[in-house]
Amino acid sequence: MMGYLLKRLAFMGVTVLAVCALTFFLMNIIPGGTAELILKHTVLELEEIPTDEQIAEISSRYNLHDPLYIQFGNWLAGALQGDLGSSYIQKKPVSYLLLLRLPATIQLAFAAMSIAVLIGVPLGIFCAIRENKFTDYILRIVTLMGVSMPGFWLALILILFFSVNLKLFPVAGYGELRYLVLPAVALSAHSLALTLRMVRTGMLEVMSQPYIAFAISKGLSPRHVIARHALKNALLPAITVLALSLGHMLGGAVVIESIFAWPGVGSLLVDAISGRDIPLVQGCVLTIVGVFVTINLLVDLTYTYLDPRIRYG
Amino acid sequence: MSLLDVNDLNVGFQTRLGTVRAVNNVSFEIDKGEVFGLIGESGSGKSVIGMSLLHLLPRNARVRGRAIFEGSDLLALGEEKMQKFRGEKIAFIPQNPTASLNPLMKNGLQASEIFEQKGYSRQEAWDRALGVMQSLLIREPEVSAKRYPHQLSGGMKQRLVAGISLSLEPELVIADEPTKGLDSISRKRAIEFFQQLEGKERRSMLLITHDLDLAYEICDRLAVLYAGEIVEMGPARKLMDSPEHPYTRGLIKSLPKNGLEPLEGSSPSLLGLPDGCFFRERCNCQTIDCRKWHPQLSPNNGWMKRCVLP
Amino acid sequence: MKCISISKSNPAIQGRIKWTPCHRIMANRTVAVCLVLLAAMVIIAILAPWIAPYEPNDINLKESLQSPSKEHWLGTDHLGRDIFSRLLYGATTSFAIAISVVAFALIWGIALGGIAGYFGGLSDDIISRVIDLFLSFPSMIFALAIVGALGSSVLNLIMALALVHWASYARLMRGQVLSAKSNDYVSSARVIGASDRRILVKHILPNALAPVIVLATLDMGHVILSAAALSFLGLGIPPSVPEWGSMLNAGKEFMRTAPYLTLFPGMAITLTVILFSLLGDGFQEILDPESEVSGLVAA
Repeated sequence: MMGYLLKRLAFMGVTVLAVCALTFFLMNIIPGGTAELILKHTVLELEEIPTDEQIAEISSRYNLHDPLYIQFGNWLAGALQGDLGSSYIQKKPVSYLLLLRLPATIQLAFAAMSIAVLIGVPLGIFCAIRENKFTDYILRIVTLMGVSMPGFWLALILILFFSVNLKLFPVAGYGELRYLVLPAVALSAHSLALTLRMVRTGMLEVMSQPYIAFAISKGLSPRHVIARHALKNALLPAITVLALSLGHMLGGAVVIESIFAWPGVGSLLVDAISGRDIPLVQGCVLTIVGVFVTINLLVDLTYTYLDPRIRYG
Repeated sequence: MSLLDVNDLNVGFQTRLGTVRAVNNVSFEIDKGEVFGLIGESGSGKSVIGMSLLHLLPRNARVRGRAIFEGSDLLALGEEKMQKFRGEKIAFIPQNPTASLNPLMKNGLQASEIFEQKGYSRQEAWDRALGVMQSLLIREPEVSAKRYPHQLSGGMKQRLVAGISLSLEPELVIADEPTKGLDSISRKRAIEFFQQLEGKERRSMLLITHDLDLAYEICDRLAVLYAGEIVEMGPARKLMDSPEHPYTRGLIKSLPKNGLEPLEGSSPSLLGLPDGCFFRERCNCQTIDCRKWHPQLSPNNGWMKRCVLP
Repeated sequence: MKCISISKSNPAIQGRIKWTPCHRIMANRTVAVCLVLLAAMVIIAILAPWIAPYEPNDINLKESLQSPSKEHWLGTDHLGRDIFSRLLYGATTSFAIAISVVAFALIWGIALGGIAGYFGGLSDDIISRVIDLFLSFPSMIFALAIVGALGSSVLNLIMALALVHWASYARLMRGQVLSAKSNDYVSSARVIGASDRRILVKHILPNALAPVIVLATLDMGHVILSAAALSFLGLGIPPSVPEWGSMLNAGKEFMRTAPYLTLFPGMAITLTVILFSLLGDGFQEILDPESEVSGLVAA
């Protein structure tokens, strides 16, 4: 167990490192571009073209002539100490901005995931047990829509309906619970559809296993069989699906946050990219990927713990 | 006095390709204390018969017919009443012990839940389960009970599954392919186990198998199945020593100890059964009549045969 | 018992119907319908320059924000551009991007996955690590970073999405090759002396490809969604190129007054992705069927 854990942690570290490196190299691929950017954000007026002296001065100040890997190394050294540089645009430390915004994203993701699980799992079980043509049909349509509709379109429709027409929820913003509802619902759609489908398929598969037939032949009531035998076996693989859909959800959160002006890391990332605010982009990518990889690891560990075949293998 | 009286059992499975007629007009009786065998090739419908009696078939199964057991028609029972019969009056020993044990549940729990269901407290049920495991000669029952199925050996799993089925001392045991996939040593042990069951405890059993040696050893009467029908039925040893139906003959001849002469061809698809006799295409004694009509079982002194020819 | 022997008649009739792939495809109605509809969409997308009544970028402020009418079937947007034409050209963009991305991802994925699976050893170790790396972070973020760094152009978008998607194909292919490799017919081919390449192409590839095809079909839908999301954010596609996602972005300000600006592009995206999803599911049923006679217990 310990060895497995260490290996996974190491891999996690490598992943995050690799992603940051990749982002860094991509963002700095245009030579001289970084210097111009910095100038544009700090000193220059809108239409001014930077002079060669200005570029030279900035380049030496920020060590922009060093080979990329050295620059990355510097960034990394700083990052490990908690210093992620300063945002070009907002002139504040990146780590400060991130810490400010991270809770909002976690709130949103958590809410969306809860909706997906709390509705998807029971519904999936229900549909598997009452397997009849009608519910199957409805289910197919619902899950198909959930997976195929662009999340941002759903968000817009929700806004149109619930905010503009019915005036039930605010259009955008952050604060009390009512601001969370529409974004969370919009974000949860895809994962909800996926979860529903997975749980239903998992249950159906489990129900056709020989150990279920044997349990029934022992004279156990259907409720007992489902609760004690089927559920655990069906839900265990569903956990891994949740982890997978989390990645999709984090990506979707970026868009949803932008639409609803939700002050999270996602909308920060989009702004940073639009403004070519390189340190901020780096910071955001680091954070989001870090969160994702961590949660994945936790899910994996949970799975390992819950499956006795792995634990006592 | 017959314990189980099966009449005109028909089982079809509805699939996208059509209706698969797995069991066709099967009728037989099992007396108290008797071991009745159903033998045949894979796909002949044997397991389906066993499972239909306890309503263990999947949703797309269509079952017709009657199976009278202690005055009630098993096939017509509602789910609640059926539950009372399962485990307590009729037990089922499944084919594949490894697949029949829940991999995520402790062994002891799987053995004790059958007692819990019948009203025992959790502690009592656990103790009884330990008792069952002990009687099955499972080493260190307390330890094994806390472990999981994948930690048991194949033989132990098989004994566990059989033991669990028999926990409530049912009157009828349906054993589905108990020696399938076992090596010869395990098979011998299994045969001994069943001989003990039949000998000491005089339990009535419906034995479903394609292991002809096992059938020879422990069955009192036998029915031979082909393409979902009984083609021959009679006293076990006599039937296997001198079979009358051409299929049974072929089956016996194909045994290694009898020369290993295989039957030519393969059984017909249950989606589209041929006209007349189902076996005629593989039969050495085919006549024109064999195509014309479908032969019935002709009783003859406790022996039945389904053939056009006398 | 007397026995009249008749000459051994015909071999036992195989009760099974021979299902060729074509037969199967036509038999599955959903797949057939989806294929037809998608083919129609592709054709329309290709013929867009000829079918579209207006140029997609014809700005005509006098006619802005008109409701659907005879002149403009689906209305006009805030710059007076005809929505129907933009929708058609958007189809061209979407399909072009989707096909390119999936093609690239397929090629890299099959090649690298096949190599890793077949040759094993060091190449497998390295390639597997790389695959795991690419698969272990959220795809959208990655695509955002690449597009953000390299700038908005269709080519960059295609590259970014291809980089994000190839890993799934590689992993799938590797798994398929690994399981095919251990099949007996491969060992026998080797014993006869078949070369590596021959074994790969003739024996392993056909069987391994089936689930890859399913993945590719489903992926087409995913790529369209990703591309739409990126252009919705204003990244990925330059504003002059008509695309459904950017149409949604442009239309979101006018939702109260002109909801059709967002309705039609959204429907277009959803419909296309639905068709690909159904098609992918259908392919899966055909190419990798779980037993059709699922009810039949091994008797």
